[in-house]
Amino acid sequence: MSTTETKSPPKDPKKETTPEKVEDTAPAFEKSYVDQIANQFSDDVEVEYIKENRTRLNVKKEKIIDVAKFIKDNTPFDHAESVSGVDFPDEKEIGVTYHLGSYTDPAYSKQVLALATRAPREETPNPGNDSTKLPSLRDMFYSVEFHEREVFEMLGVYFEGHPDNRRLLLPEDWADLPPLRKDFKNKGR
Amino acid sequence: MSVIAPKFRLGYFLKGIFDNAFWILTIVTLAGIPLIQIVLFYMDLPVIDGELLTAFLAFTWLFNPTMQVPLIKSLLYSDLFRIAAFPGFGFAALIAAGTIFVERKMLAKLQLRVGPFYCGKIEGLLQLAGDGLKLISKEIIIPAKADKPLFWAAPVLFVGTAAAFVALIPVAPGGWVVADLDVGLLAVFAVIGFFPIITILSAWSANSKFPFIGGIRALHQMVSFEIPLILSLLSVVILTGTLNLSEIVESQSNFPWIIFLPISAIVFFTAMLAELERIPFDLPEAESEIVAGWLTEFSGMMYGLVQLGSYLKLYAFAALFVIIFLGGWTGPMFWPPLETELITTGTPIPNFKGDPVLTVFAPGLPLFDKDPNEWVLQEQGELQYTSGQLLINGVIWFVLKTVAVIFFILLPRGVFPRIRIDMLLHIGWYKLIGLAFVNIFIALGLVYAGVLGPGGIM
Amino acid sequence: MAEVIPTKEMPPGLQVENVDDRIMTLNVGPQHPGSGHMRIIVKIDGDYIVDADPDPGYVHRGEEKMAESRNYITNIPHLERPVIHDSCNILYPYVLGVEDLVGIEVPERAKYVRVIAAELNRCIYIQYWLAIYGIFLGHSTMFMWPAGDRELFIDLMEKISGARVTHAYFVPGGVRNDVPANFEDVCLRQVNYFEKRIKEYGDIFYDNPILKARTEDTGVLSREDAIRLGTTGSVLRASGVDYDVRVKEPYDVYDELDVHTNVLKAGDSYARSKVPWLDMLESCNIIRQALEKMPKSGSIRTKLKPNPKGGLDEVYRRVESGRGAAGCYIVSKEKPEPYRLKLSVGSFRNLIALPYLLKGEKLGNMPAVYWSLNYWPVEADR
Repeated sequence: MSTTETKSPPKDPKKETTPEKVEDTAPAFEKSYVDQIANQFSDDVEVEYIKENRTRLNVKKEKIIDVAKFIKDNTPFDHAESVSGVDFPDEKEIGVTYHLGSYTDPAYSKQVLALATRAPREETPNPGNDSTKLPSLRDMFYSVEFHEREVFEMLGVYFEGHPDNRRLLLPEDWADLPPLRKDFKNKGR
Repeated sequence: MSVIAPKFRLGYFLKGIFDNAFWILTIVTLAGIPLIQIVLFYMDLPVIDGELLTAFLAFTWLFNPTMQVPLIKSLLYSDLFRIAAFPGFGFAALIAAGTIFVERKMLAKLQLRVGPFYCGKIEGLLQLAGDGLKLISKEIIIPAKADKPLFWAAPVLFVGTAAAFVALIPVAPGGWVVADLDVGLLAVFAVIGFFPIITILSAWSANSKFPFIGGIRALHQMVSFEIPLILSLLSVVILTGTLNLSEIVESQSNFPWIIFLPISAIVFFTAMLAELERIPFDLPEAESEIVAGWLTEFSGMMYGLVQLGSYLKLYAFAALFVIIFLGGWTGPMFWPPLETELITTGTPIPNFKGDPVLTVFAPGLPLFDKDPNEWVLQEQGELQYTSGQLLINGVIWFVLKTVAVIFFILLPRGVFPRIRIDMLLHIGWYKLIGLAFVNIFIALGLVYAGVLGPGGIM
Repeated sequence: MAEVIPTKEMPPGLQVENVDDRIMTLNVGPQHPGSGHMRIIVKIDGDYIVDADPDPGYVHRGEEKMAESRNYITNIPHLERPVIHDSCNILYPYVLGVEDLVGIEVPERAKYVRVIAAELNRCIYIQYWLAIYGIFLGHSTMFMWPAGDRELFIDLMEKISGARVTHAYFVPGGVRNDVPANFEDVCLRQVNYFEKRIKEYGDIFYDNPILKARTEDTGVLSREDAIRLGTTGSVLRASGVDYDVRVKEPYDVYDELDVHTNVLKAGDSYARSKVPWLDMLESCNIIRQALEKMPKSGSIRTKLKPNPKGGLDEVYRRVESGRGAAGCYIVSKEKPEPYRLKLSVGSFRNLIALPYLLKGEKLGNMPAVYWSLNYWPVEADR
């Protein structure tokens, strides 16, 4: 994306523990943990942006489990705040973004790490039985369970390894397209 | 052009008249004439002024002003009046209606709102009547797979059992009770024992999950709280040596038993709340867990009957508490004591024509008319009262105490949340039964120490 | 206890099960007085819950889909619909996100007015929540008192915004209109009165021995589980995690105000029900501070260009709503409408704890545990 900004100068690699000091060295602080992940998975992880308190990593779907495992084990990010599916019909892909946050480490309490991946998209979806599949991150981040169920029903992304891939919000007899896909048109709009 | 009855035909009109006449004749022949015969030949008819009250006389006297008072008086002493009106159903239903009104308004005041307000102009007095009308006019829906006879019978049985309970309650001195039994207290226990059976039967017959859970809860609750209920009353029986409720009241003419048996009163009151399914023990109807418990499938007047029954039960339990612990109708007299001659011969009033005599009796009024057979002079200590005075005094004290107890039954509803079934059973089986036994030993100690009982104060 | 095995993967409610005499399946909701607009499929063995499966979605409106076809301004009224009692707070992350996307500054006075409105709304929401918690536990007085006292703050919000519940008061760039002339005095008076009332709630409800006996040690969520399940808001703070977005990631003027985070250690239903009550006291403090520090005059809104557009960008903003962190993820593709808008709301995040907490509880504890999760079904469905 065009507004991607990578604030470069890495000053002091030492970690600050109080939120006030994080404020001063914010870009460096974010860069430190993003680099830690990016260095581990050099080819498979693309740093999309590092902004103040917000960072985003684009990961290939094959590596998402490994990256998530690494994040869970080596950084203080311990829960997923949100799992958002985004439909990109032009690129024939469906993006899924995990917003990870940290409760345990006060230094990280401001940070939200967006871990994004893409699944292939099919023109005539058949949720659960087509190629739109992603590995589930439930084993690493238990809190994604209901979010992934929502993404499954709303965009048709099947999460492999998820124990409970059922509908959550939609009615049982919903037989239309997954509603958050772009080709599902709002009536009257 | 409009006509009132566009499809009027003389033939149909005549047919309608003949049809109605035929059905009226049939019903009168099959039901009316036997009814009249039963009244004439089998019922005990009162003798008024030396004449047997036949149907003919009754109808005649209805329009004769001089004979109306004896007619009403004879009605007052009939069993029907006792069952339907004064110490029985009507009186209890009146107090139950008052209870509902007080409950709504009191709870509203406690919760900073106004409660029923518009119906009946004055503070929503007629709200209850409006609710009753609404319930009667609503459709009765019965679950498809319900056991219909049982389901229909349950509300009626519930009201019937509550009315039977009410019938055992003595209200005033002089035998103002529907059924004055020597085993009154045992009969009370027997009647209470019917409630869980009716509850579980209705819950089972509804064939629905929430009523079933509610019925099971009600069964657990009522059965386990009957034991402390009975045990707590046992101490009173030990002290008085009788099971007759009227005699229990008369034994408290000097002091109510609550002075000597406060633990018993507390146990009884708690068990009473649980038996009545009042908050905090309203688990069988716990709204947020099991919708309305065993009442879930009742609709229309079936629900209304169950509510009526439960409020009759509330009155009966409160009255039982008053009778056993608070001395029933005993209390200071509101009236000044009367001189003997005022009652027997009367005091002459001077300076009036024809030497009129002033007595306490008001001729014509049912309760104050002088009738040597019924209204004998009663002596209470050194003071003298007519039995009419004693009746009114007794009823006023009884109602006052009962209303006070009902108030304390209603009060927890605004203060406490609901408790859980395991906590409830724990209270019933461990705490209340233990306290009841402690209390029995206290009562036995009082008797054998000679403080109370035959050799003591009594 | 026999195992119940679903024979086939079926949507909730349509599963074919092995019939077991011991296990009874209860459909609690959606038309159940103790469920709200959702269904909990509860399996009970006697009085114990062996399995609970929440089935939300009965009031799903597709807010996220609707947002994709409306522009940034017309999105405002419908995005607050998920929680009309907390409409300012649910709109807050969206407004902050749009401001980031469009790149406008908010006037200082508008920031204070926003904080006051948000805290008033938090009180309105928590009172409503508390009222329902009271009636769920059979405490009808606790239903009537907060429902009545709520009127104070609803009247205040009506003075500010003109509407009683659906305010649509926050707009990107500030607030829609200024507060009335004597607002400070009225607000201070109401808040002072309300603080007294809150303490009375404590007397009748939180100190009630029966309430304590019922809710203490029921539905215990340990600190580790609260973090692992990603719960938020009062549920998280009741489990001993010190996390409040207002403190940890201050937005608008929260960094200039002294905000105290209420943390309880127990993690049971009682602690979870007590934290929102303490939050109301804290809200009163915040409102008082904000009224003191608020500039007495000045602009309240930076005007946007007609049909504002974001760049090729995305933004994720969070605020602390009445039910926990409310996040808004907006993907923008140089159009007047958001390309994708995702609301990550507290109720939805806390819902995951419900089956976890209900398993092994008694049926009588179900409403106490369920509603202590600070759950608002409409918000979770969005």
